[in-house]
Amino acid sequence: MDPLRSYLGRLLLEEITPVVMVLTTPLAEAACRKSGLSFVDMLSPFSLFKKIDVPVRTASEVPYRLQMFKIRMVYASDVRKEDYEVADERIKPVVSEANEKALLDLLSDPPQLEDVLGKPEAELCPLWIKKFNRELMRTLSFSEHETFDHPVACLLVVSSMDKEPISKFVDLFNTNQLPSLLNEGIMDPQILKHYLVLHDQQDGPQDIAVNVLAEMRSTLGLNDCKLLCINSSTEADGSNPDNSWLPYKALGLENREGTCFLSTDDLNEIKDFMQDFASNHIIPYMEQKIRVLNQQVATTRKGFRNQIKNLWWRKRDDVPEAPNGPMQYTFTSIESQIRVLGDFAFMLRDYELALSNYRLLATDYKLDKAWKRFAGVQEMSGLCYFMLDQSRKDAEYCMENAFSTYLRIGSSGQRNATRCGLWWAEMLKTRGQYREASSVYFRVSNEEPSLHSAILLEQAASCYLLSSPPMLRKYGFHLILAGNSYYMSDQKQHAVRAYRNALFVYKQNPWSYINDHVHFNVGRWYGVLGILDVAIKHLLEVIACSHQSLITQNMFLSDFFHYVQSMGKKFDVYKLQLPVFNMSSLRVIHEDHRTYASDADVDVSEGTWQELEVELIPSSSVVRTNWLDTQPKPSLRKYKDSCVCVAGEAVKVNVELRNPLQIPVDVSGISLICQLSTNLDALSSDVSGLTLDDGEDKVNTEPSVSILETDEDNFIVSKLDIILGGGEIKIVQLDVTPKVEGILKLVGISWTLSNSVVGYQYFEFGAQKKNKKGKRGRRRSFNNSLVVIKGLPKLTGSIDCMPTKAFAGDLQLLKLNLRNHSECAVKGIKMKISNPRFVIPGDSPDIDLDFPHCLKKHMQSEIDLVPHKSTKENFKGLLFAFPQVLPSLDISFAISKSSSRLQEYIVRMDDFEADSCKEAESGSYRSDTALYPGSNGDVFDIARPPLADFHFQERYRQGKLAKVPCSLLDFVLISKAAGNSSKPSPDLQLLSHHTCHCSALSQSPIWWLMEGPRTITHDFSKSYCEVSIQLVIHNSAAYKSSVRVVTSDAMPEKSQTVHPHDSTSVQGGWHDVSLENDIKAISSAKGTRHEKQSSKSISPYVWCSLSSAQIELQPDSCSRVPLKVCIFAPGTYNFSNYELQWKVLPSKEAQVDENGSSSGGPGHPFYVTVLQSV
Amino acid sequence: MASTACFVIVSKNDVPIYEAEVGSAPKKEDLAYQHQFILHAALDVVQDLAWTTNAMFLRSVDRFNDLVVSVYVTAGHTRFMLLHDSRSDDGIKTFFQDVHDLYIKIFLNPLYLPGSRITSSHFDTKVRALARKYL
Repeated sequence: MDPLRSYLGRLLLEEITPVVMVLTTPLAEAACRKSGLSFVDMLSPFSLFKKIDVPVRTASEVPYRLQMFKIRMVYASDVRKEDYEVADERIKPVVSEANEKALLDLLSDPPQLEDVLGKPEAELCPLWIKKFNRELMRTLSFSEHETFDHPVACLLVVSSMDKEPISKFVDLFNTNQLPSLLNEGIMDPQILKHYLVLHDQQDGPQDIAVNVLAEMRSTLGLNDCKLLCINSSTEADGSNPDNSWLPYKALGLENREGTCFLSTDDLNEIKDFMQDFASNHIIPYMEQKIRVLNQQVATTRKGFRNQIKNLWWRKRDDVPEAPNGPMQYTFTSIESQIRVLGDFAFMLRDYELALSNYRLLATDYKLDKAWKRFAGVQEMSGLCYFMLDQSRKDAEYCMENAFSTYLRIGSSGQRNATRCGLWWAEMLKTRGQYREASSVYFRVSNEEPSLHSAILLEQAASCYLLSSPPMLRKYGFHLILAGNSYYMSDQKQHAVRAYRNALFVYKQNPWSYINDHVHFNVGRWYGVLGILDVAIKHLLEVIACSHQSLITQNMFLSDFFHYVQSMGKKFDVYKLQLPVFNMSSLRVIHEDHRTYASDADVDVSEGTWQELEVELIPSSSVVRTNWLDTQPKPSLRKYKDSCVCVAGEAVKVNVELRNPLQIPVDVSGISLICQLSTNLDALSSDVSGLTLDDGEDKVNTEPSVSILETDEDNFIVSKLDIILGGGEIKIVQLDVTPKVEGILKLVGISWTLSNSVVGYQYFEFGAQKKNKKGKRGRRRSFNNSLVVIKGLPKLTGSIDCMPTKAFAGDLQLLKLNLRNHSECAVKGIKMKISNPRFVIPGDSPDIDLDFPHCLKKHMQSEIDLVPHKSTKENFKGLLFAFPQVLPSLDISFAISKSSSRLQEYIVRMDDFEADSCKEAESGSYRSDTALYPGSNGDVFDIARPPLADFHFQERYRQGKLAKVPCSLLDFVLISKAAGNSSKPSPDLQLLSHHTCHCSALSQSPIWWLMEGPRTITHDFSKSYCEVSIQLVIHNSAAYKSSVRVVTSDAMPEKSQTVHPHDSTSVQGGWHDVSLENDIKAISSAKGTRHEKQSSKSISPYVWCSLSSAQIELQPDSCSRVPLKVCIFAPGTYNFSNYELQWKVLPSKEAQVDENGSSSGGPGHPFYVTVLQSV
Repeated sequence: MASTACFVIVSKNDVPIYEAEVGSAPKKEDLAYQHQFILHAALDVVQDLAWTTNAMFLRSVDRFNDLVVSVYVTAGHTRFMLLHDSRSDDGIKTFFQDVHDLYIKIFLNPLYLPGSRITSSHFDTKVRALARKYL
């Protein structure tokens, strides 16, 4: 690439050009003011010559032509070195001007990688940055160690209205007013002078000016005087200037005040003047000067002799280190002359000459340790190398050398270093060495105040991007650095712009601190600039920063909420990071609970249930997914995989949420986002559409939350408010209750963070199959649609005060509370109990009974038949844990028939637990009569439902129901726990023991007893007494029996004494006591006379009706045999003087010889007292 | 021991899988991101440099002001990056080699998924001990 065409080349051609010092009189200046311009402003557009085409010859007489040329017009008062502060103030507007443009950009989306890479270089570095660079370099103008800023010529301008113009010219070049450079002898005051008379046409005809010119020519020299006429345009209209100035506007000439009296002729005249001035005066003058200086240098410095002399002379004069001693090098010194020579040569583009002089100078300055000058010379020689397009290495070496030397001399060289760096970087950029260029920019940026360094860093960043391959991370990093510097120098727009441009580098970046820093700062600065929505968008990225310290987290959150609040409205955020919802923990809880009891109960094996359900579930050939959907609609078929839920019942979802921060966060209104569509057809397409799109672009399918919330008529969602502590993990249960039939879709979750931000997140299916775990353990692929069917009754049941422990035989009243949660009526409830032996359902009136007193026999409690209940009682399946059974009473008993009364038994019972008092009852299965050995009050009615039912169950269980031999007995022992003295429990415990099918000790099938009056009063003086008694005979055998009653009048005295049961002698406890002795005792107490007689008499009575009777008895039946006895004297008689003989007649002949089939027995004693009536 | 030293293992997907501030200077919150920035930016240089040499230890590849980034690239293109302000090249080399040993042990763990974050506290202690020893 031709270095002249490169950016740096053009920059050098424009910047390193001859300076023309301008001196004007106030009147001349005033003439220009009429057009709103200063004199310099008026001329400067014409100081750039695109094609000046001037022939020049080098010092060695080689001709060449200059094409492009530029001269700089500067007022004499401006030819001085500016303070850095002032200069910096001048630069600032350049930056802030660009601010406003930047602001517009900030509203658009940040650039993406492709955009940035596709951009040409010019766009990466905005124009204002180049402008800034120039301005930065210009702050160094007119330094003393460089001569290219030293004026080459001086233009003296006097108005034609000035009096004595000639003397004015002399006054203008008064030494007092000249710049310090000239006064202090740093540069040669003998410079080219050019005199100009400025004539304002409005002030009168041109004649005065011409006269002045003639006078000037005669005194000041023929060639150096010129006349320039301006303001020839008489009317100050806007249109004319517009046309004529148009070509020059781009050059910075702008008419600020709107009036312009410059006509096209004037402009052409100015142009011609400038052309003439440059080509006929400045260039020849410089050429001339070069030649003179070259000659001088050649004689003093060139050649072997001079070099030796120079070296020797320098050595001898050991200069102390004084980098820029004020008067070390005056314009007369050879060093200054060489420098002027070099600079002039450079300006006239004789780079070889310039370079050779610079190199010569470099050694001198180096020896003199004049480091600043040395650096300046090095810098220039570097540029020469560049312009010559030779030896890149040398160029770089020179620049590097200059740069580091400038840095070494401290603060005075800093800005020079910057300029040098900028040139160097441009040089590298021209050669495509972007990486090196960026590192130069970076080095420069370290030396500058923050605003400048920001811009330099930005350029460094863009260089990284331009290097190949693009170094994106470096680009990002340097932009961030630039942004920081911008921020420090209070240029927020630029700061945001820089950060924003870097965003794409750090997109999806796993380097967490970087991410947080970038997003937080961008967000914060956007917030400061008042672009709140973007600010919040960026801050959202950082609020879930678990890796940061508590302080940082606090800062992030408070900033975030600050901007959210200043936003003044709630807004929705998709996938808000706070709190984190663990979507893989998502569980849908089906409302097919069998029990609400503890988990242990829930996990009862399926077998238990199935066993119970066997008879309850109507058998049907159709296998249905759920027995609830008895009538599957065809349109629902596609949802056959979907789960079913019921209108009016909540669908519950468990989800885990976690607070990643160490700060507690307030999360409110956590609820499900649902859709319920009643129109099946419309829905089907919708649903399929949505499920297909699941994995794809979320943004498109994402319905806004507000739309979804309008469905309030169709379903209700629960809202949950919680506060999550730092790092806390909570599982929350959310539910939705559909109200109408249709398809319910669970779409997502929404929540509100600190009452200001609404976050929402959609459930994601497809990628990973989530399993919906029904209680049946059936696993289905998760489908977010639920079929809502119409309301169903829903029963819950519970048992109050279910004991966990009970004694064996403990009787407890349990209440089952059934509750219908739904709005539908429930009919035909069935109940089944897994163990009906122990739980007996009662009747509804029983509920209010006062347990256990209800069990007591009421006054009129008759003999009730046990209500016959079917064994197939139906129970609703409810799960109760049967209580642990403790052993309670341990009893042993024996039953014998009562001899005194028919169908009564005597029970002997021993128990080994002495802490309860007992009441024994005995009875046949059919009717009951009670006998109370230790009767002292409470009587229980075992025929009443609860007891009877248990009894029945027990009988059934103990297994001999089918065959009911009459001789077998059931024994029910009801005991009451004695209220322990320590605590009188209000609900006293009742224990009942059932022992069924016991047999009495005596095995005789025939059972008889006498019935008749016990006491008879009779007047024996009239006649004998005739007592009619009845013998009741009962056949308890299973067969027919024939019984024969034989009475005898002989007294079997002896046998009577032996009469008591054999067994009684063996057993303790109760036994059959013969009444005889008692009677005697009573008799004796009464003092009855017949005492002796009765016992001694042989037969005081006579059977009078019959001596023998034969009857047939059906099984289990009674018959009465009437008997009559004649008594002749008052006394007590024992009518036991009879005998029964019976024979069991089996229905089948084969079993005749059964043992005991035929036997007999003596009569039981039956005492009758007969009294003499008075 | 270096006053500032930040050690990061970067997986071949440019994801940091282990980070440790091993310098003796007290850890500052605002420096954490700066170190990350420097190391992250240095990846660009490593990317170029890694293919120009056979050595695993690339010495100092990048610098930011007075902080130097030294890098060691394993055969699997996992990069050990150390940001430091000390100059002991030998110590750093030994440090890297020893960490490489440790890293291989982690890598051999069948339960460790290559490219995932190294959470082993044992590894962490060992690395810190090595840093104390060599840096």
